[in-house]
Amino acid sequence: MKKILSVSLVRGLLWEIIGSGVGVAFVVLVRLLMRLPAWKAEPAVVVGALFGALFFLGGTGVMDAWFQWATGNETGEPEPFVEGVTGWRRYLSVSFDHKVIGVQYLALSLLLFTIGGTFALIFRTELAQPGLQFLTPIEYNTLMSLHGIVMIIGILIGISAFMNYLVPMMIGASDMAFPRLNAFSFWIAVPAGIILLSSLAFGGFDTGWTGYPPLSVRAPLGMQMFFLGVSLASFSSILSALNLLVSVVRLRAKGMTPFRLPIFVWAAIATSIISLTATQLIGLAFQMTMLERLLGMGFFDPLKGGNPVLFEHLFWFYSHPAVYVFVLPGLGIISELLPVFARKPLYGYKWVAMSSLGIALTGFLVWGHHMFASGMAEYLRVPFMYSTLLVAVPTGVKFFSWTATIWRGKISFPTPMLFVLGGIVIFLLGGLSGPPNATVSTDLLLNNTYYIVGHFHDTLFGGYVFPFFAAIFYWFPKMSGKRLNEKLGKTQFWLMFPGLLILTLDMMRVGLLGMRRRVDDYDPALGFQAYHVVMTISGFIIALGALVFFINVWLTLKRGEKVPGNLWESRSPEWQVPSPMPVHNYAKPIEVVGEPYDYGLPGSQYVRFAGEGSND
Amino acid sequence: MTEVKPNALRLGVLIFAALAVLTGVEFAVAIFLNTWPLLALIAVIKAGLVMYYYMHISRLFSADPNPDRESYTYKLATNRLGLWFFLLSDGFIFGGLLVSRINLMGLTRPELNQLLGLAVSSVLLVSSFFANRAETSMALGDRRQALVSVSITILLGLVFLAGVLGVEWRLAPFGPADGVQGAIFYSMTGFHAFHVLTGVIFMTIIARNLWRGRFSTEKHWGVEAAVVYWHFIDVVWIFFYPALYLIGTLH
Amino acid sequence: MKHFVIIAILVVASTFAIHAGLEGIGLLPVQASTQAISIDQLFGLYTWAIAFVFSLIIVIMLYALVVFRRRKGETGDGAHIEGNSTLEIAWTIVPLLAVLYLAYLGAHSLAETRRIDPSALVVKVIAGQWYWQFQYPDQGISSTELYLPIGQQIDFQMTSKDVIHSFFVPEFRLKQDIVPGRTVDLRVTPDKLGTYTVECAQLCGANHAYMTAKVHVVAQADFDAWVQSQKSLAAQDPALLGEQLATQYGCAVCHSTDGSKKVGPTWAGLYGSQVELNDGSKVTADVTYLTNSIVNPNLQIVNGFQPNVMPQTFGQILEQNQIDALVAYIESLK
Repeated sequence: MKKILSVSLVRGLLWEIIGSGVGVAFVVLVRLLMRLPAWKAEPAVVVGALFGALFFLGGTGVMDAWFQWATGNETGEPEPFVEGVTGWRRYLSVSFDHKVIGVQYLALSLLLFTIGGTFALIFRTELAQPGLQFLTPIEYNTLMSLHGIVMIIGILIGISAFMNYLVPMMIGASDMAFPRLNAFSFWIAVPAGIILLSSLAFGGFDTGWTGYPPLSVRAPLGMQMFFLGVSLASFSSILSALNLLVSVVRLRAKGMTPFRLPIFVWAAIATSIISLTATQLIGLAFQMTMLERLLGMGFFDPLKGGNPVLFEHLFWFYSHPAVYVFVLPGLGIISELLPVFARKPLYGYKWVAMSSLGIALTGFLVWGHHMFASGMAEYLRVPFMYSTLLVAVPTGVKFFSWTATIWRGKISFPTPMLFVLGGIVIFLLGGLSGPPNATVSTDLLLNNTYYIVGHFHDTLFGGYVFPFFAAIFYWFPKMSGKRLNEKLGKTQFWLMFPGLLILTLDMMRVGLLGMRRRVDDYDPALGFQAYHVVMTISGFIIALGALVFFINVWLTLKRGEKVPGNLWESRSPEWQVPSPMPVHNYAKPIEVVGEPYDYGLPGSQYVRFAGEGSND
Repeated sequence: MTEVKPNALRLGVLIFAALAVLTGVEFAVAIFLNTWPLLALIAVIKAGLVMYYYMHISRLFSADPNPDRESYTYKLATNRLGLWFFLLSDGFIFGGLLVSRINLMGLTRPELNQLLGLAVSSVLLVSSFFANRAETSMALGDRRQALVSVSITILLGLVFLAGVLGVEWRLAPFGPADGVQGAIFYSMTGFHAFHVLTGVIFMTIIARNLWRGRFSTEKHWGVEAAVVYWHFIDVVWIFFYPALYLIGTLH
Repeated sequence: MKHFVIIAILVVASTFAIHAGLEGIGLLPVQASTQAISIDQLFGLYTWAIAFVFSLIIVIMLYALVVFRRRKGETGDGAHIEGNSTLEIAWTIVPLLAVLYLAYLGAHSLAETRRIDPSALVVKVIAGQWYWQFQYPDQGISSTELYLPIGQQIDFQMTSKDVIHSFFVPEFRLKQDIVPGRTVDLRVTPDKLGTYTVECAQLCGANHAYMTAKVHVVAQADFDAWVQSQKSLAAQDPALLGEQLATQYGCAVCHSTDGSKKVGPTWAGLYGSQVELNDGSKVTADVTYLTNSIVNPNLQIVNGFQPNVMPQTFGQILEQNQIDALVAYIESLK
């Protein structure tokens, strides 16, 4: 019993239950004091869930050191692990080691992907035939909406996994600038996910992940769980970004000037600039809608003088830059790995670095392209079209650079490279399907059709999912000292790559022909059924690839091939020390003495350990 | 150790005087000219003064006296950067609320009591003066003065909360559900008041630790952080006050 | 050098092949409005551009992956090439100019779609959960199917009764969200005879998928004839009209005509009967009661049923003669 309770996750969950009860009781008490009927479901459930999340955090113990400091006690350096927790249970407990936190984020991300993906398989099965076979409209809308938001949060969590795991190592630091904040950022995502998924138990919601009022103001109680879950998850994103930016500014190794950073760090910087700032707007938009539901505040209610389009502006001001958060790290992974497998410098490193910043900054100026048909002010449409099309320029710089990087290289094709190349192809399709959406008049056909769904599945798979798998296959030895099985990896790739291509090409085809998105049924006379069958089958093929991946991970952890050294012969700092990565990363600090990607230059060195002789 | 000049206390008084004068000018401009660009400009100047002289934003750009990563001063500068990034992020919430106010109410403003508005704003401004005094005193080693100033800051913060939540919210001729002015007024003042409350709690923790002698001239990051956070809340109000009370015609 | 010749040939071939393939399968629905003309031209341009850029990158990449792959037993690294500023500038400036040009074309196309014809036919579109209603103010009729005369610009004045909906006919190409609390405007000039479907294109709740209505683009003479028939429909046997309306407005979903209990009270034998309300009082279901039940449903709730389920907006949607027709129909259900 004591052993079970020593695990932070378990304590957190127990306290979450207690906290929910306290929250509900609090609402009942306040209502009685205000001489209102004691029980009203919506405020009770919302406040209960919020208290639940706070008590969860307290219960895990992740804030203990902060409470100690507040009461004036000395707090030492954060310890990697909680006392008395051993083995795999360590990963379910609070740790302040960025590598452990990175793995925790990774596990949570994979869990969310599995859940979100399962939702998709369920409603794709429903959609294979016209008519409603086994889902009611509200069930369909809830599963479809949750698929969207669970995948989005899964991506954000996965990105935190990459950035937290890799960046300290890549800059030669022993950890992030704020290890306890790092742990907090992870642990707040857990109750956020629970609250989000609990919407299923509270009647679901029928608005899509975009949650537009007035529909979201009338939606069932599950809508509040969606709003609250996302608001809480947003703090994870924001605080993680803060930590990353401070770490890169303050903890770089000696000699690591800005243009000697590994390129992934540039991607992480650009991503974090967005996450730190824009994320607050989706929290605000959702909280305003929560207040409209709870207190009748008429922000978006036309009958009270409110403006539904204001919600769209606030929402998309985050949600557009958010998509660059989703893809910039993955594009950074592609830039990071191509030189290793082509044994050639990253072509135009400075331009690639600046292109990440360019995409991030331009990305703040384009949100209106989601609103071309919304009835927003007419004079805004053309400027947003110009700004949106402009994003193609820094994105193009990356594609041209990648092509030039492999030109005249000496290229090998282990699994990580396959996923990198597959990512490039898919992201190219996603990117090229963009300009018709960016152009107002053509977008009037495409908006809210399956074409858009195809576009963003391509950009997300190409910019995130495939690079994500590339990164896992590439750094798995660094995390565990073992190498994932190549045969299974290639099988996974050759399932997911064609599966995804067929899925998204299909989607774009029916979308162009006028198939609307977010519908639980369609008229058989439209002639789209065959496409839907193909889409459903493709979805299952992708899922099969995911299954192969999980089998691969399981088998490898149990009895995989041990690889303690620099498996990929990478110049990057983390590969100059043994695998798995030592606890505090670098026993001897590293110094930067050359360029990061000088493959093919005899005698060149990127980093060396302090105290080693130089080669002059 | 962050260099603090001996005349820093006097500078604090001077800046407060400037802020008070500017607030008076602002009020006069609102009554007699009612032109929003000028009011916006005054708010920007006030905010600039607070950010430079009270929040010491220039410290972010000064070189590290000690390059040793393990040294206290290095970590102090790292903490400072973290705090400012946090404030930058938090600022976006208030920015979003301002944008919403402009979108929903344009050049109209909610029907509010001007004297009350001026009163609570003044209370907050004075509290910022004392917050600055607290930090400056601590940096100069005067723990007693720091504790007195922190306590006054807390008191004034509570007075502000009482003034807004206790008085203004009751006296307002509209409720939260009464149209856009209700929605905007209660959400803007509500989000801001929540931050004032957390500021008061933070200050109380600092006061307690001050009293127990946990801070020194060299090491008083907690005091600095609480005070900078307090000034941030004041800067937000520097923009919210004209946005709610001064700009535009009655709704 | 030989590399570039081979690549150039492959890129050109691939571009034409992809373009031909895409055009061959027919990407777009039938073109049925004049506004669609400039839009489809842009789509045509994009098809070329996408075929070309895709070919360019993929051909070069695949070529490189084959030609520069590591052969068995080969050791060593690739060529140490860091970059080339001129090339970088070129592949920044050229795409920049290209997208600016595309944006310019897009603005031009948008302006084409927004041309105003002052003699446009006004059609009011009312969207609600989950139905469409079309009113022709100048003709004095309303309908649940959209009839449009070919070759005439239609000025759709659209409002929503509840949440955000969106008016979308793929063949017309244009789409416009309908935001509650305001009237939004969309102008379309249908230029191809045929039957199409207007679909709601903004998720609006449970039955969003079924929120569709038929669109008939007909010759002017046929349109005029249809207007006449709609006018006389109102003078027809009211009970018959009422029966049609009960289906069109979804009354039958909640009110049965055979005595079975559904979401709302049955209409069978309702007229003239004694009804028990939820406050215990009893009323006679006469014309006044039935009319009130349609336009102000929450006023009197029948015992055993719930308030706030029946839509509150029928009083605004239905004309008086339509309400009378529904009452006449209910009366006929003994």
